Amino acid sequence: MTAWDTCSLCPRLCRSACPVATGSGREAAVPTWIAWTIRGWGAGQLSQELAAEAASLCTDCGACQEHCHLGRPLPELLRGARTRLLPPPALEPLEPIEGEGSLVVIEADARPLAAWLQRALGRSVRRWSTPDRLGIAAVEHPVFTHRAARLREAVADLEVVVADGGIATVLQRADIAFSWLHEVLPELVADRTIASCRTGGRRLGLACCGAAGPLARHHPEDAERVGALFLERCGGGVLLDARCREHLRRCGASVHDVVDRLGGEES
Amino acid sequence: MSEPKSVRSSTDQLDRLAASRDLWPGGTLEAWRGGSAPVPDRVLWPASAEEVQAVLGAATRDGIAVVPYGAGSGVCGGARGRAGSWVLDTKELNHLGRVDPESWSVEVGAGVIGQQLEDWLEGQGYTLGHSPSSISCSTVGGWAAARSAGQLSSRYGVFEDMVLALEAVAPGVGRFTVGQGGSAPDGWMDQLLGSEGTLAIVTRATLRVWPAPGARWLRGYRFASVSAALEAMRGLMQGELHPSVVRLYDPVDTRIGGRTRPRSGDRGREGAWRWLLATLERIHRLPGVYERALVLPLALPGLLNRIFDRLASGCLLIVGWEGDPQSVEVLSSVGHRLLCERGDDLGAGPGQRWYASRHAVSYKLMPIFEQGGFADTMEVAARWSDLEGVYHAVRGAIGQTAVVMAHMSHVYPEGGCIYFSFAGRGDPEVYRRTWSRALDAVLAAGGTLSHHHGVGSLKAAAAAREVGPAVAGWRALKAQLDPAGILNPGRLFVDVPGGDPGPPAPLRPEDHLARAPIGAGLEARRALGEPLWPHERLPGLPRWQRSPWQTSWIEVAGEVDGRRCLLGRGPRSAVGPDLRPWLAQHGGAVATWAVAAEGPRWLGEARPVQPWAVAWQLLRSDLRPAVLIVIDGALRVGFRGPAAERLGALASQRVPGGLSEIPWAPASIPSGPLEPCGIEDPGIVHVTAQGVFRRIG
Repeated sequence: MTAWDTCSLCPRLCRSACPVATGSGREAAVPTWIAWTIRGWGAGQLSQELAAEAASLCTDCGACQEHCHLGRPLPELLRGARTRLLPPPALEPLEPIEGEGSLVVIEADARPLAAWLQRALGRSVRRWSTPDRLGIAAVEHPVFTHRAARLREAVADLEVVVADGGIATVLQRADIAFSWLHEVLPELVADRTIASCRTGGRRLGLACCGAAGPLARHHPEDAERVGALFLERCGGGVLLDARCREHLRRCGASVHDVVDRLGGEES
Repeated sequence: MSEPKSVRSSTDQLDRLAASRDLWPGGTLEAWRGGSAPVPDRVLWPASAEEVQAVLGAATRDGIAVVPYGAGSGVCGGARGRAGSWVLDTKELNHLGRVDPESWSVEVGAGVIGQQLEDWLEGQGYTLGHSPSSISCSTVGGWAAARSAGQLSSRYGVFEDMVLALEAVAPGVGRFTVGQGGSAPDGWMDQLLGSEGTLAIVTRATLRVWPAPGARWLRGYRFASVSAALEAMRGLMQGELHPSVVRLYDPVDTRIGGRTRPRSGDRGREGAWRWLLATLERIHRLPGVYERALVLPLALPGLLNRIFDRLASGCLLIVGWEGDPQSVEVLSSVGHRLLCERGDDLGAGPGQRWYASRHAVSYKLMPIFEQGGFADTMEVAARWSDLEGVYHAVRGAIGQTAVVMAHMSHVYPEGGCIYFSFAGRGDPEVYRRTWSRALDAVLAAGGTLSHHHGVGSLKAAAAAREVGPAVAGWRALKAQLDPAGILNPGRLFVDVPGGDPGPPAPLRPEDHLARAPIGAGLEARRALGEPLWPHERLPGLPRWQRSPWQTSWIEVAGEVDGRRCLLGRGPRSAVGPDLRPWLAQHGGAVATWAVAAEGPRWLGEARPVQPWAVAWQLLRSDLRPAVLIVIDGALRVGFRGPAAERLGALASQRVPGGLSEIPWAPASIPSGPLEPCGIEDPGIVHVTAQGVFRRIG
């Protein structure tokens, strides 16, 4: 028996929780079928190319494990499989942290999040800019181990604030504690419906995460389908995860997130 | 090849492979042994009825078979791949409409996954009430295709009871709607439901919904034998107590599931057996032993069946009510008293444990395949008088090739469903022989071959034997809807020599049935006993115009092309489409229907200002009266069975000015044709929770 057997035989009961299977409508994206494909590759029945394609139909959102009655660690298994099936992604150099104070906010796009937060809090806020989201593309690859150590060293004594799900994922993998922007400033969301797939607030029946993970890199069309379905079902509201903003805009939505609200909807 | 360019599609190997399998265990066994299923040429994801029509048009032009595919949870091979075919994946038909609070209905796309629909409804304070164990991996369209049934079917009905209207596309006629005054005759609905994609592609459904239950009551009971438990179940259903769950585990299933403790001093349980059982149970709980322990039943099923029979002692019945708290209190207290007369109360624990894990059972089958075996399930149905006979017949027929256990659920006033679970050695020949013997045994014992899993390719030959010459009804509609025969060929019915079902079996008193010529009027039928639902004419109103529990005929028998034909061998047969209406018009001679049991009756009368509006509100307040009619401006509300008086009192509280008790008097349900109308319409003659109706013309 292999690690994939149980998932391969399961009657796909995690499928309704999987944003990719639901959003794309592709049977190939159902976690059970992904497991079946990788098992087939391991048994010499299917090609590596096919297994790689299946393994990358994943946003690494963890919903399949959360909904599995047997607690199968499928996301972890898939991460391991992808490191064997896909080439390692490149890591961009880390930018220096700028400014003073004990609080550092991580900026993932052109919006001056640190300046806006400093204005709102009335205290010094450091700025850490990272166009590649601290190396999110490599987060599941062994090459990330070294990056994680450097991240821990860089923020050793600082209080970290984020508004981006990709960066949050990196920090979690690096075992770095952080706060979400809306936890530091609850008034940003107090009067609004919250639509968010991963970052708390109103729980939706379906996650999204089409903005990140292997899916966005390898299957951009499916990532947009996932986002489109999320938009249809979430019923509007303010997004807690700034990463979703660009993704959902690509899906044709007019969306605003907590960073927009902090900046007074200036962007 | 002229694939429709505007429709999203894929010829990627990954997509084609993924669409080649459904959840038929025979296919899983084949794949696990290194085999492969036939792979389709293309997978298409139409996003609208127009796109479905484009796909079917292109397929018809090129003579390409089209296999509809929802979420692939079918266990009979109905959505399995077919070489050279196109798979029409419905999952982009994922529209979720908002609930209409007036009509208690929702319109949804055929590709919506069940659990997502239920989550969506829950967010608005409603439920569909459809809870199959496949809810996480099946679609609305799949439920329609296979005539699904959920675990709460005793309260909410089976899936066809939930359908108010369908939108579908067929190669021969294009897009059409049926139900709620749609473009197609109401009779098409009976055939579309259960047609497994052989007649048309369902694209959208309008479904009844109900307010989320305000109370849920669940409890377990232990019975000394299956017979005793079936008797108690029959009492609940014929006593019109409308439980939500009635679920009996046979002694083997009860024992393996460890669901109830045997009473001390049980006869036949000698000390050695007791010691062996306790030892096995202790071993069973050791880490890793569960999986390895499966080798034994796979190799020696006959021996294991005998051991389990000897060790088994008593069986567990789970019973539940849900809905309006006051109704639940009345019905559950009366039901509890009845159940305690024959069984032992085990408290709320077993019921709550079942509810918490009600969708998890499918996971238990996986280790069996991993161990080189197979595991499968078979759901059949029979009348109360045949139920135990079917149970023993199947166990006897397959007991040498598979370990077999069963539970009985989906019960009705006239009978119920038996759900067999069996596991054996993973040899395709053993698998084939086990199924063949099981299906033969069901037919020989008087049961119907499918209650809610459908037919697919697994049961196609046996289904054609059961339905016999009435298959002509399905063929007639197929010739109209799919003249080129491109829709899911080889599924549902295949050509087999027809057998003679013989004359209808004699009626047994415990089934509470009556039989008469098809056209017998209500008075003639009353002479044979009080009809449970007194339709003016059989079969009564189309499904979308009647309350789900107001069943019409059970069985229709007659002759087609000089050959005897009998449909409705179980209380609910899902061996393909419901062909009873077609048979009734094409050689049907006699019909069989349910009659009310003897027992208490309570009838009350009132004269509210708007009596039909009050009647409508009574149905929406979770009461299910046996009589609900307005005669000369007077509203009459009646109940039968052991809870009749208390339900009457409850109804009286909900009628302005209350109800005055009057002597029991027969009522009737109009047979139409009817049409929906406003609540203030002076011509109202009928009511459901979804609205009121008047006669046409």
